[in-house]
Amino acid sequence: MAVDSTPTNDLVQEGTGRLQTIGYVLQAVALLVLVASFALLFEVVDAQSLVAGQSVLTWMGLGFGVLGLGFVAVAGLSRADLVESTPIKSAGVGAGIVYALIGFVVVGLVSSQTLGLQTLWVIPAILAGGLVFLGAVYPREDIGSTLPAAGFMVFAGTTFLTGTIGLDWTWQPIPNGAVFDASMALIVTGFFGGLLGAWTAARAGNGFGSRGRQSGAYLLVSVNAVAMAALLFALVTFVAVRGWAPMTRGIKTGIFWEPVYWFYFQPIQEYVIFQIPGLWFYWPFTMEGAALMNDINGVAPAIIGTFWLVVGAILFAVPLGVGAAVFLTEYAEQGRFTQLVEISTNGLWSTPSIVYGLFGLALLVPRLGNSNSILTGMLVLGFMLLPLVVITSRESLKSVPDEYRDASAALGVSQWQTIKSVVLPAAMPGVITGVILGVGRIAGETAPILLVTGGSPFPSTGADIFDPRFAFTGQFPWVSLNIVNVDPLLQPSSALPYQLYAVISAGLSENLSFAWGTALVLLLVVLGFYAIGIASRAYFRRKLQA
Amino acid sequence: MSETHATPVSEQDADQATGQTTPGETNEQVQAEWLEYEFQGDAKVSATDVNVHYGDDHALHDISMDIPEHSVTALIGPSGCGKSTFLRCLNRMNDRIKSARVDGSVELDGMEIYQDGVNLVELRKRVGMVFQAPNPFPKSIRDNISYGPRKHGEIETGLVSRLLGRDDQEQEDELVERTLRQAALWDEVKDRLDDNALGLSGGQQQRLCIARALATDPEVLLMDEPASALDPIATSKIEDLIEELAEDYTVIVVTHNMQQAARISDQTAVFLTGGHLVEYGDTEQIFENPESQRVEDYITGKFG
Amino acid sequence: MSTISDRVQIGTGRPSVVSAALAMTIAATVLAFLVVPGLTVYPLVAFMVVAAYGWYAHQEETARSLMFVMTASTVLILALITVYLVVKSIPAFRIMGVDIVLKTNGPFWNPREKLYALFPMIWGTLITTLIAICIAAPLGVAGALFISEIAPRWARELLKPAVEMLAGIPSIVYGFIGFVIINPYMMNELSVSTFGSLIAVGIVIGVMALPTVVSVAEDAIASVPGPMKDGSLALGATNWQTMTDVTIPAAFSGVTAAVLLGVGRAIGETMAATVILGHAQVLPEPLYNVFGNTETLTSLIASQYGIASGSQLSALFAAGVVLFVTVLVISIASQRIEARMKQKLGGEV
Repeated sequence: MAVDSTPTNDLVQEGTGRLQTIGYVLQAVALLVLVASFALLFEVVDAQSLVAGQSVLTWMGLGFGVLGLGFVAVAGLSRADLVESTPIKSAGVGAGIVYALIGFVVVGLVSSQTLGLQTLWVIPAILAGGLVFLGAVYPREDIGSTLPAAGFMVFAGTTFLTGTIGLDWTWQPIPNGAVFDASMALIVTGFFGGLLGAWTAARAGNGFGSRGRQSGAYLLVSVNAVAMAALLFALVTFVAVRGWAPMTRGIKTGIFWEPVYWFYFQPIQEYVIFQIPGLWFYWPFTMEGAALMNDINGVAPAIIGTFWLVVGAILFAVPLGVGAAVFLTEYAEQGRFTQLVEISTNGLWSTPSIVYGLFGLALLVPRLGNSNSILTGMLVLGFMLLPLVVITSRESLKSVPDEYRDASAALGVSQWQTIKSVVLPAAMPGVITGVILGVGRIAGETAPILLVTGGSPFPSTGADIFDPRFAFTGQFPWVSLNIVNVDPLLQPSSALPYQLYAVISAGLSENLSFAWGTALVLLLVVLGFYAIGIASRAYFRRKLQA
Repeated sequence: MSETHATPVSEQDADQATGQTTPGETNEQVQAEWLEYEFQGDAKVSATDVNVHYGDDHALHDISMDIPEHSVTALIGPSGCGKSTFLRCLNRMNDRIKSARVDGSVELDGMEIYQDGVNLVELRKRVGMVFQAPNPFPKSIRDNISYGPRKHGEIETGLVSRLLGRDDQEQEDELVERTLRQAALWDEVKDRLDDNALGLSGGQQQRLCIARALATDPEVLLMDEPASALDPIATSKIEDLIEELAEDYTVIVVTHNMQQAARISDQTAVFLTGGHLVEYGDTEQIFENPESQRVEDYITGKFG
Repeated sequence: MSTISDRVQIGTGRPSVVSAALAMTIAATVLAFLVVPGLTVYPLVAFMVVAAYGWYAHQEETARSLMFVMTASTVLILALITVYLVVKSIPAFRIMGVDIVLKTNGPFWNPREKLYALFPMIWGTLITTLIAICIAAPLGVAGALFISEIAPRWARELLKPAVEMLAGIPSIVYGFIGFVIINPYMMNELSVSTFGSLIAVGIVIGVMALPTVVSVAEDAIASVPGPMKDGSLALGATNWQTMTDVTIPAAFSGVTAAVLLGVGRAIGETMAATVILGHAQVLPEPLYNVFGNTETLTSLIASQYGIASGSQLSALFAAGVVLFVTVLVISIASQRIEARMKQKLGGEV
C-alpha cells in the first residue's frame, strides 16, 4: 500500500482560495519568464538590457528563484494540511518521465561541459534521471510534483545569477552544427523553465489530483493555441509591414476635367467648353510591369497571369469535378469502380504540386507547342483543382436531404431533371465555397507554374488575352469582331507566386523591397480568396440552420 | 419502512383536475394537489424549488422533494416532462449543457451541491449514473469497471507501481469481481474480463454500466430509463437488480413504464407535461389511490 | 441512388448507341492526344457533335454518360501521371539501377558523369519531414483538442478560421520569410556555417503541416459520440481525463490519419525547401547534423529542372516517382485507417 493513504475529500472545500492565489501568482511569474525568453529570441531585448533597473538576465534569474521557493512553500503547506488540496498517491508516470528527462539533460550537460566527461557523461545522467523519477513518483503527489520542479528552478536561477554561464560560454552539441552561446542558453532555459513552472503552478494551484492535472494540461494546451493564433498574426503582419511601403509606392489619384461639349462663341472669339469631372487612379505596383523606363516596377503581368491561370483552371476543373461528384452521389452504386475513384481522388489530392509540374512537363508541354505556356499552366492547375472540387461537391450533394429527391421523383420527374432543377441548385452554395477555397490554394502554387508556364523573370507586359476589337471592314462580312486572342495562351507568362520566386532567385540585394511588395500582393490575393470562402461557408451554413 | 402522513386534499381541487395541463394553471394550484411525503430519518437527497431553463424554454418548475436513504424512488410521467432533466440536476450533469440554467437548491446529506467550491469529481463519485442507452467504453470489461477508481487515483497498476511496491492489482481484481456480482453479470463474463466491452449484448452492456457505476462506491445511484433499450428478459434482470441495490444504495429511477415503477419502487414522483411535479408519495398509494385527479387520469391511461 | 424512371428507360435500343458513340469519341480524343496530338481535334469535334445531338434528343441518357466520363477522368488522370512519370524516369533507372536510391557513399550527383544517386535527397526529405512532424503532430493534436473540447464558443469561432488561413499562406511566402529571416539568424546567432539548414526547413514545413493535422484531427475528435464522454464524466472523471482516456483513444484512427496526412503534406512541400536550402547534393556530416545543408527530393527537382535535359531530366523524374509513390502509399494507408475507425465506432460517425 501507499506510504500515506489518500485523504478522503470533502464535497465542499474551503480554503481553496489561498492555494489558488499562490498558484496564480506562480503561473504569472512563469509566464513572464516565458515571454521574456521570446523577447530575447526575437531580439526585442538583449540579455544585458536594463528593465526597471536590473538586466533581463537578473530578472529571469530572480523569476526562477521565486518559482523554486514558491514550489517548496506549496509542497510544505500542502503536506502540513495548511491549505486545502486533493493530491493523490503519486504524481504519476507522465510527470515522472518529464522530470526525469530534465534531470537527465541537466546532469548530462553539467557532467559533459563542466566536468569534461566525454562519453561517460551518460552514466551520471542516467543515474540522475532515475533518481529524479523515483523522487517524483514515490512520494505523495503534492511533494513529488513540486520539489523536482523547485530543484530545477533553483538550479537555473543560481546558474544564471551567479554567472556560471558567462559571456564566453559556448556549446556545440552536434559537430559542424550550430554553436549555442549564453544568450541562447538563457532563451532555451527560459522557454522550457517557464513552461514547466507554469504547468507545475497550475497543477498545484488547483489542488493537485485530477483537477490539478486538468488545469495543468489546459494551461499548456491554451498556450499552444494562443501561440498558433499569434503565429498567424505575426506572419501576416510581418509581411504586411514590410510589403506595404513598396506595394503602395507612387499611388496617385486625381480628378481631371473632361470636355463634353464645346462651341465657338463669336462675341468673345473664344471657345466655350463644358467639362465634367472624372476620376483617375494610378497604382504603379499593380498596374506596371518591370521595364527600364519605369519609375516604379510592378507586378501587373504576374497579376494578369495569375488571373488567367485561375480562370482557365476553373473552366476546366469545375464542370468536370461537379459532373464526377454528381455521378458518384446520384447515379453510381457502391462497388469496385467507386472505390477506385475514391482512391484516385484522394491520391490526386495528396500528390505534391511539383509532381503535377513534372506531369505537365512530360505530357502536355510537348503536345501544346513544346514550350512553356499559359494553356499548359491552366490545365495543370486544373488537374490540381479537380480533386478539391470533387471532394467538396460530393459533400455538398450528400448534404442535400433525400426528401427533395423523393418529392421530385414522386411527381414523375426524371432523375436528370431532378438533379438539374432541385439537387444541384441546393448544393450550389457548398460547391461555390469549395471552389473559392480551392482557388485560394492553387493561386498560391509556385512549383507547377515554375515548370510549365514560367517565362522571363521580370516581364514588362502581361498576356494579352482579352482583347475585344470591333471594326468595320471593306469586304464581306463587313465586320470584324475579336474577343479573345489565342496566341498568348501558348506563350509563357508570369504569375504572382512565380514572380516572387523569380525575384528571390535573381538576388535580393537590389530587389528586396520589390520582393516584399510582391509577397504582400500574393498574400492579399490568396488570403482574400480564403477569407471570402470561409465567410461564404459560414453564411450559407447559417442560412441553412435558420 | 417509512411512515406516510396524508394531508387531505380539498374537494374543489378534485373538481379542478383535468386530463391535460390547463394553460394558466398556476404552480400553487398544482402544488396544492400534492401529498406531503414524510418519512423517518434525514433525506439523502433533498431538492427545493428547482427550476431549469434551457435558453428560453422553462423545462422544470419549482420541483421540491425529499428522497430517503436506501430506497428506490421512481420518477414517472409522459415523455418530455422533465424527469431526466431533474435526474441530471442531482449530479450536476446539466452543467454539461451550455444553454442550461439551474436555479434552486439540491442537497446531498444536507450539503448544498450548487454552491461555489463544490468538488464535482467528489460529487460524481458519490452520486453515480446509468444512462438510457448502454455506453460502455471501447475498452476491456475490466478496464471499464476500474475506470472510475483509476481516475480518482485509488487504483494504480503497472510496471512502475510494482517497482514502487504499491501495485493495486489485487484490489482491482477484487473490485471487478464484487461489482460484477452485484450487477449479476459475473458468471457470464468471468472468463473474458479482458475482452472488449462492445462485444457484449445490450443487456450485458447495461449491466456492465451498472457495475461500472457501482465501482466508485457511490451512495446514490441515478438511473435514466435503464431498461428501455433492452428486451423483456434483460429488463426483468435489471429490475431484480434494482430492488437488491436498494439495500445498500439510494436508487432513483426514471421510467416511462408505469408497471415497472409500481413493481420496483418504494416512492413514486409523478411529473406531468411542462416540467411540473404533480404528486409524490408512497408507491402503493400513488397507484391505488392518488390524491390528484390528473395523476389518476395519467395512471389509468386517459392520456400520456 | 438510381430511381424508377432510370430503370424505365433501359430497354429502348437507340439511347445506348449515343452512350457508345460518346465513349468511343472521347476515348479516341484521349488516344489521339496522347499518341498523335495533331489529329486530336477531329475526334474532339466528333465528340462534341454526338454530345450535342444526344443532349437534345436523349438528354437523360447523355447526361448520365457524360458524367460517367467525367468520373472516369479522375482515374485516368492518376493513371496518366503514374505512367508518364515512370516512363520518363526509365532512362535514369537504366543508367543507375538500384544505386539510384541505394548508393550511400559519395559522390552522389554529377550530371556530367551521369551519376545520379538520390540518397542525400531522400535523407534530406526524411530529416525535414521528421522535424516537421515532431512539431506538427503534438501541437496539432493539442490544437485540435483545444478547438473541439476546451475552447469557449467565441474562441472556437476565431481559431478555426485562423487555422484555415494559416494553411492558406503560400509556401513561397514561407520560403521567403525563411530565406530573409531564419537563414541569416542561424548564421549570425547560431554560427551555422552554411546559408540554409535542414532544421530551418523542418521548422517551416512543420508550421505548414500544422493546420492540416489540426483540421483532420479536430473532425475525428468531434465525431466521438457524446454519450461516451457523458459516461466518463458521470463517473467523476475530469474533462481532461475524459479527453485523454476516452475521446482520443476512440478517435485514435482519425488522429493517426490526420498525422499521416500531415506527413504527406510535409514530404511534398517544395518551394519553402527550394528557397531556404542551399543546393548541394551531399550528406550532412555527421549524418544526424540537422544544421547541415542538403537538398530534398522536391527542392532538387525545382532547382534543376531548368538546366536539366536528357538523362539528368530523367533522373529528376525518378525523384518525382519516389515522391509520388511514397505519398500515394501514405494516402491509401490513411484512407484505410479512417475507414476502420468508422467501423469501430459502430458507423456512428
